[in-house]
Amino acid sequence: MKSLNLQRVFARNTYLISFILLVIVLGINYIVQNNVFELRVLNNNLRTLLPLILLAVGQSIVVIGGGLDLSVGTLVSMLSALLVTWVTPDSTPDQILLAVVLVCAAGMLAGLVNGLVVAYLRLQPMITTYATSFIFSGIALLLLPRPGGSIPRDLSTFYRSPLLDIPLAFYAIALLLLFWSVLRTTRYAQYLYATGSSGAAAYATGVPVRVVRVTTYVWSGLFAALASLTLMLSTGGASQANIGDDMTLDSIVAVVLGGTRLSGGQGGIAGAIIGVMILRVIRNVIFFAAVPTWSQTLVNALIIIAALAGPGLIRLIRRSIGR
Amino acid sequence: MNAQTLRRYLTPPLIALLLAIALFFAGGLINPDFINVTQAINIVRLAAFLGIISAGQTLVIISGGEGIDLSVGAVVTLAAILTFRITGGDNNLIGVGLLASLSAGFIVGLLNGIGIALLHIPPLVMTLGMTGVVSGTILVVTQGEMLGATPALMSTYIAKPLIFGIPGVILIWVALGVVMWLLMERTTYGKHLFAIGVNRTAARLSGVRVERAVIITYTLAGLLAALGGFMLLGFAQTVLLNLGDPYRFPSIAAVVVGGTMLTGGKGSYWGTMSGALVLTLIDSLLRAMGLAEAYQLIVFGGLLVLLIAVYGRELNLRQ
Amino acid sequence: MTLQLSVRSIVKRYGGVVALRDGNLDIQSGEVISLIGANGSGKSTLSKIITGVVAPNGGQLLLNGHPVHFSNPQAARGRGITAVYQELSLVPDMTVAENIWLAHEPLHLNFRVNRKAMRKNTEDLIALFGGTISERLQPDTLVTALPPDERQIVEILKALSIDPQLLILDEATASLDSSQVNRLFSLIKQWQAAGKAIIFITHRMDEIFRIADKATVLRNGQSVGTVDIASTSEREIVNMMIESAATPDDIKIPVVSEDAPVRLAVQNLGGGRVEDVSFTLRDGELLGLGGLHGQGQEDLLLALFGAIPYTGSVKVSGKEVHYRHPRDAMNDDIAFVPGDRGREGLLLVRSIIENFQLPSWHKYGALHNRDAAQRDARAMADDLQLVYAGMETPVNSLSGGNAQKVVLGKWLLRQPKLLLLDDPTKGVDVGTKGEFYALLKRLTEAGTAILFYSSDDDELLGLCNRVLVLQDGRVRDTLTGERLTHSELVAASMGATNNHEVA
Repeated sequence: MKSLNLQRVFARNTYLISFILLVIVLGINYIVQNNVFELRVLNNNLRTLLPLILLAVGQSIVVIGGGLDLSVGTLVSMLSALLVTWVTPDSTPDQILLAVVLVCAAGMLAGLVNGLVVAYLRLQPMITTYATSFIFSGIALLLLPRPGGSIPRDLSTFYRSPLLDIPLAFYAIALLLLFWSVLRTTRYAQYLYATGSSGAAAYATGVPVRVVRVTTYVWSGLFAALASLTLMLSTGGASQANIGDDMTLDSIVAVVLGGTRLSGGQGGIAGAIIGVMILRVIRNVIFFAAVPTWSQTLVNALIIIAALAGPGLIRLIRRSIGR
Repeated sequence: MNAQTLRRYLTPPLIALLLAIALFFAGGLINPDFINVTQAINIVRLAAFLGIISAGQTLVIISGGEGIDLSVGAVVTLAAILTFRITGGDNNLIGVGLLASLSAGFIVGLLNGIGIALLHIPPLVMTLGMTGVVSGTILVVTQGEMLGATPALMSTYIAKPLIFGIPGVILIWVALGVVMWLLMERTTYGKHLFAIGVNRTAARLSGVRVERAVIITYTLAGLLAALGGFMLLGFAQTVLLNLGDPYRFPSIAAVVVGGTMLTGGKGSYWGTMSGALVLTLIDSLLRAMGLAEAYQLIVFGGLLVLLIAVYGRELNLRQ
Repeated sequence: MTLQLSVRSIVKRYGGVVALRDGNLDIQSGEVISLIGANGSGKSTLSKIITGVVAPNGGQLLLNGHPVHFSNPQAARGRGITAVYQELSLVPDMTVAENIWLAHEPLHLNFRVNRKAMRKNTEDLIALFGGTISERLQPDTLVTALPPDERQIVEILKALSIDPQLLILDEATASLDSSQVNRLFSLIKQWQAAGKAIIFITHRMDEIFRIADKATVLRNGQSVGTVDIASTSEREIVNMMIESAATPDDIKIPVVSEDAPVRLAVQNLGGGRVEDVSFTLRDGELLGLGGLHGQGQEDLLLALFGAIPYTGSVKVSGKEVHYRHPRDAMNDDIAFVPGDRGREGLLLVRSIIENFQLPSWHKYGALHNRDAAQRDARAMADDLQLVYAGMETPVNSLSGGNAQKVVLGKWLLRQPKLLLLDDPTKGVDVGTKGEFYALLKRLTEAGTAILFYSSDDDELLGLCNRVLVLQDGRVRDTLTGERLTHSELVAASMGATNNHEVA
């Protein structure tokens, strides 16, 4: 009975295993890099991590709803290009606010397009968002043919400094978790999980499955916008037409490392946040453990595969011992 | 011919093929120089590389279980670099280079298969992780230096006109098409492949060793991607660290445009061949039109959405 | 509020296939109407049209005399019409409570889901079936963790949660055991008295006579009439459903002689829900497996087929075996017809020939001899009187009975010496059942040993000379000769022993 309860705890809190994994890699990180928990280092790490965290949060909402969004990275590229074409170092706060609102609106619009095509034309999410990623790349290149851009210095300074001795990213993560814990209690969350777990059953029960699917991509678009905003704050507004492209696959790996099942209907954003942190800490460890430059990619990939294979490996070993 | 018989014969692969032909002549309207034999052969030659690289992807996607192979690009690069390095431009070592490439593809595919079938890692992340491993291995081995050369014979037999002006790679592609058809339609493995793509429980209860079939499928995919990389070297003549990357997602797009369901259990390689032709044609057409790169990307993405909208649609919830 | 629903000349086509050509039905509050017909006669389609899941191509629904059009299930639900579907409409990754209240969750301030109220209401609903269900069925249990019968009950409770005016029960009793069916029937009586209208779809004739006021019969997508249950007979209804009917009583498989070779000897077998089962089965014998649903019958068959791990000793033709995969069992000429055709037996989108030959492809060489494979498949199809358009048509175009023939045929092509059958006539129409009985007789006469589980007691008692009754995974009793009666079977199913003591 006790083991059954434990199983239930893990089944309901899919990020627990990931959390344990994070604690382990953080421990290793501390051994090779003693100052990792110092405010300055922590702040730097989290600051550069925030864009991917936001992107992975959006990705996990899509994945929970039974979809996949391969366009998030190029969307970040496009929205960053959009932002830096509007905002200059001399922009007034009003202009900046307007630009932020417009970037968020553009992100949601792009997500809406993805969602409408997936839900109403009934095209497979992966290939659809792959196709729209070309469109977003193209627009990014149109807006920003050459690398460039910059934002008011005060803004990036504010973003780089801790607030009340706590890294700014902490507040952002706390806000994300608060947002999710509120969302999780709404009827919309029930619809989201039902749609991802079994679209047909949800439909037969009266869940507006198509509308829910569309909203997941709109969320993803909004979070891509927030990701591009924080990315530009982090780089001081220096952008290029493909700045976010590589973040797509990382966002998916983070979601999976966070214990969210790719087939949908299960998981949460806490897992995605943990997943991003695991990815980053592994990179940290490799760097500070003095792994030769040319071997870093390989070691990184092997550790990630090992982390993914862990649960399956344990099951396999347990089964062969059981025989 | 009434609508129903029309629908029966107008299968996705055929639509894609007709579309490819129509696109070719449409290219002529935009730019009369587009239509000539040399240009046609050149486009088919380009499509052949994508087609060969997509062969394994076809098998993987048909095998179902969210099957996908994102490691093809990295394997292509690995095979090309291995051949480049091992032969060092020596024609006598081409065989050794091919064997080494195929062995490397075999190992990568086998590892993918084991991770997916036995350790239950989702194919998307397993093959993505494997991409990192392969790229990492390349870095470790080469230390960033691309030493070696391409044997002259490879260019002769693969890229340059061989018989009646047709390059060897096209002949090899056609031969591969026949082999793939036989493999999928006339062998026990092929039948088991479709079975596990549709319903793994039913397949197992009919005596299909599902895990084994999955491992074989990913192993074949690794082998075929390595073959593609070997061929690509004959065309590219030189290697880059990201030589195969541009093939990663197009290999999936070619399969889908060819009418193979991403959910598995249904599809054909000749569909993928048509899909590779269509994608290559669109690409060539956009270049021939002299559009700026940004517009090329936008138009390509839009056309791709349209293409899969024609028949790549999923079942409606309300019938 | 009373309700009066008339269904008029409903037509529904799927692609080129006509599922319903002329569907008619009348029902009003306080009535229980049974909708019956052979497989593929359009019962499920009709019920899905009434509940707005499927859009009709023609015809009309009149609700209280006014034409209505339900564009989706919510619309029908808004008018108090809902159904308990045959294929389950539950979300596997959600809890029992979440499933029951999905899309009409009790809310705080129109915003947050009121989990406390949801749990309380769920507990009240579960109490309706109290005593017939296990401890597992709780508001917070994930639906994936429940066995089929309890999922079916959750499905029923889910339909009830909207307090419907018209409730359609589509094969809702198929996976329930008899105590659960009894409880459901007494609940139906209560609902009827409270003024609800109920449409009851079943394959079990006795249930129609126990619960319905009227029966509307469908044949080939057409309603052929409505009869008052009080003034009709089983025979009359069967005649309306089909032209000819067979009952298992027409066929009795002869007792196998004592010196026939032993095909299967099982000692202390355990695995899945099965515990400590021992028996022997001789060539040419049809050995029945009985008992309430889900008492380990399916797991016993799966274990013998090597599909689930097991302990104990299994001897096939005197040779000790331990199968780890169905292929191992197949190599010893064992075949298994699973209970869930769509999920375990068929590749629905693939062709008939691919389904027939799936276990046998390797017989046709490294490069298959397509002609030989076609020839063998055709011969089998003819043998089974399969109705089909062509060998290349997908099996999902076949009716239930014909699809089951494909599942059976794919194993007969291997000429098995031991055949394991998991409820092969479930959801199969009466005509096809008769053909199956004759086939079983032919097979045993040819020396095939058959282990036969059926959820239909008449079938077991009519066909078999020996029936093992399972309860809680153990053999409670072995019925032979004069003890092959309904009362003995029921007694053993419920746990009474030989001496009629309650275990």
